[in-house]
Amino acid sequence: MLLDLLQNTIDGIASGATYALLAVGFTLIFGVLRRVNLSFGPAIMLGCYGATWLHLNFQSGLVVLAAATVAGAVLAGAYVERLCFAPHRSGSAIAAMVASFALWMQFEELATLVLPRHIYPFPLLHEGAPFEFLGLTLRPDTLAVLGAAVVLCTLLHRLLYRSRFGLAVRATIENPVAASLAGIDPGRVFVLVFALASAIGGIAGYFIVATHGQVTPMLGMWSTLKGLLAMMLGGLGSLPGAIAGGLALGLIEAHSQWFLGPQLRDLVAYLLLFVLLAANPAWMTRWTTSRSAS
Amino acid sequence: MDDFTLGVLTNIGLFSFLALSAYLLLLAGEMSFGQQAFFGVGAYAGGVLTALYSVPLPLAALAAMLLGALAALLVGLPTLRLKGLYFAMATLAAAEIARLLFELLRFQRSIDGELAGPDGTQGFRGIRWVFEHGVEAADFLLLIYGLLAFVLTVLLAVERSRLGATLRSIGEDPELAASLGVDVDRFKLGVAACAGALAALGGVLFAHHNTYIEPRNFDIMLGVHSLAYALIGGLGTALGPLLGVALDIGLLEGSRLFGGTRMIVFGGLVAVLLIVRPRGLLDEQLVHRFTSRTLRRR
Repeated sequence: MLLDLLQNTIDGIASGATYALLAVGFTLIFGVLRRVNLSFGPAIMLGCYGATWLHLNFQSGLVVLAAATVAGAVLAGAYVERLCFAPHRSGSAIAAMVASFALWMQFEELATLVLPRHIYPFPLLHEGAPFEFLGLTLRPDTLAVLGAAVVLCTLLHRLLYRSRFGLAVRATIENPVAASLAGIDPGRVFVLVFALASAIGGIAGYFIVATHGQVTPMLGMWSTLKGLLAMMLGGLGSLPGAIAGGLALGLIEAHSQWFLGPQLRDLVAYLLLFVLLAANPAWMTRWTTSRSAS
Repeated sequence: MDDFTLGVLTNIGLFSFLALSAYLLLLAGEMSFGQQAFFGVGAYAGGVLTALYSVPLPLAALAAMLLGALAALLVGLPTLRLKGLYFAMATLAAAEIARLLFELLRFQRSIDGELAGPDGTQGFRGIRWVFEHGVEAADFLLLIYGLLAFVLTVLLAVERSRLGATLRSIGEDPELAASLGVDVDRFKLGVAACAGALAALGGVLFAHHNTYIEPRNFDIMLGVHSLAYALIGGLGTALGPLLGVALDIGLLEGSRLFGGTRMIVFGGLVAVLLIVRPRGLLDEQLVHRFTSRTLRRR
């Protein structure tokens, strides 16, 4: 029993690490733009489809596939930024969000036009047998993902808190008008942050498909929902919050799947989010009390 | 009229109810990702009543609308004071909870020697009231558009009344509205209940048109689509959401012009349209210009 609990916790943290990366991407975009990018997940999906296409046609290696996923996600993200967010920067948040949904439709159809089957295999990150350790099962690929996520978050922290670019980003999050008075170009920060978030999303996407071993068009909706859910659970307030939200979502899913079964797994996560939002604790509204969320 | 045209027209009518439901809440300044839940509640409730208990469709529709309004109150009570993204995410969570509950819902009875009723992820087959009572597809289409015309007449009348002005004032600035003596919370709850009932009515008709429903019908895609319909068509008049639905289902699916690239064309059009007209084709300014001109002519 204790062993099962421990095993579930490990599995939860492993899937939580990728949720955390998705949530970090969402949070970065929401932080500087105060806009929700619904096609964040579909852009990642498109990147994964690009890599799958490369894999099918040229049998490319892992590094090429990872690079292609990230490049595809960033390219798709740039398209989204130009068409949905740059024109609505000072305008309607709802219009920007609905526009990003419209591009989601485009991405999904584009993916199924290029690769029409419902499911495609994706080369696994590591095909070796899992380690056995004190009765616990550890998959080498999830360990690699976990390690990479930790490294990525550390680098991101350094970038945001130890560099001039990070200072500009944080100033823009705090107050874009004051930031522009201090000589920061908010437009440039928006674009760069969008690219950064898309790259992080692309890395998360690569880890997801390379550990699941398959790609489907549903990946877009899946990533958007998981990222949004993790971001909201973390309180929509900060990058540490997003990471905590991602890990929390992974743990909740792993434990509720074990205790209640797969059908109730998603129900528990949504129920928790609904109750949390209804209770509306102060830590969930930190960012939005100073500036409106809508 | 051939079957294809009939099907397209029916779908435009059915999804208009859902788009109007999203539109009502947008007017009150709330963006809901969850109206599809009440569409689903209506579909399941109406289907269970007619298929399992042989309740006549009109009665079942009324009961379903009531249930839709109640469900909307249940979701709205704890969440309507939330702002922007928080409300959107709370409604999204509620709608996903509803969809997952539909997946768990197993409630079958033997009707004429055959098991009927919701069967979890297997869906709900045999909602045959319309066929058993000899209603032709064209008659059902008339019924849908008759109801839609009634709803539209009411909504257009409300929009020209003091009630409509209050609704828009809450959407523009709830604090200002409150300072003018509007009970914003109660008003929003009322709007949410009406929007829930409207979505449920669409759901009942949807279930009886299709005869088969499954939980997947009521996923987040449907909710975001209805929101998009309302915004593309325009927030200036209740005719806007209808225009949005007609543009997507009618023009693009109906014309079969673009074949396999329909969503690429539609998605691009919507994104560009929203840059030019961020509050939709029939936005407030256009509607205002039009109504003031017709008033002057009188």
